[in-house]
Amino acid sequence: MAERTAIDARGAFCPEPLMKLIATFQLIEIGDEIEILTTDKGSVNDIPEWVSKVGHTMGDVTEMGDHWSVVVIKAK
Amino acid sequence: MESQPLYILLCSEQHEKIQMAAMMAAVAAVSERKVYVFVSMGAIIPFGKTTDLADRYKGGVFSDLLIEKKAPDAIELFKQGKRLGDLTLNPCSMVMDILAWDDGDLIDDLFDEPLGLTKFLSDAETGQFITL
Repeated sequence: MAERTAIDARGAFCPEPLMKLIATFQLIEIGDEIEILTTDKGSVNDIPEWVSKVGHTMGDVTEMGDHWSVVVIKAK
Repeated sequence: MESQPLYILLCSEQHEKIQMAAMMAAVAAVSERKVYVFVSMGAIIPFGKTTDLADRYKGGVFSDLLIEKKAPDAIELFKQGKRLGDLTLNPCSMVMDILAWDDGDLIDDLFDEPLGLTKFLSDAETGQFITL
């Protein structure tokens, strides 16, 4: 069963949320998910762009008031 | 299709330009692009091992804001790019000679061998070239 890892990157500026996401990707298995919380609106666009470029899978992107929740699934 | 390599010629000692170079290098490297950064002229000074941390970066208002707001440190971004992607940093052999520096004078675990400008320019013909 897929596991979900949470990263709280609220308050971090670009490109730190993406870099934290990628560092964590190296520690999880294919099919596992990462949920990253971010206050950086640029990362809300940048993370899906990176996911598309390198061939992973996007999950839900949810606005949570003062931050966003972005879910990514490791596909390879 | 494989992405073009990215070549960054970093000459400025200005914090904003070093930060931009680090951001581009790190993001491109983790996006499965080969990245080569050639550090020359005054840009090498912040990478000195003995450079005072509090005085590492030169800049104006925006440099102060980057530090005050705790934006990711440029040198840490370069290190992340190397660790997580295919990123090569070379110090310019000419500036190393002028400063009488060797590898031991540079921050640990960041740089590859000193490189000449001719070789860097020759290699860069195959990719996208950015100067800062």
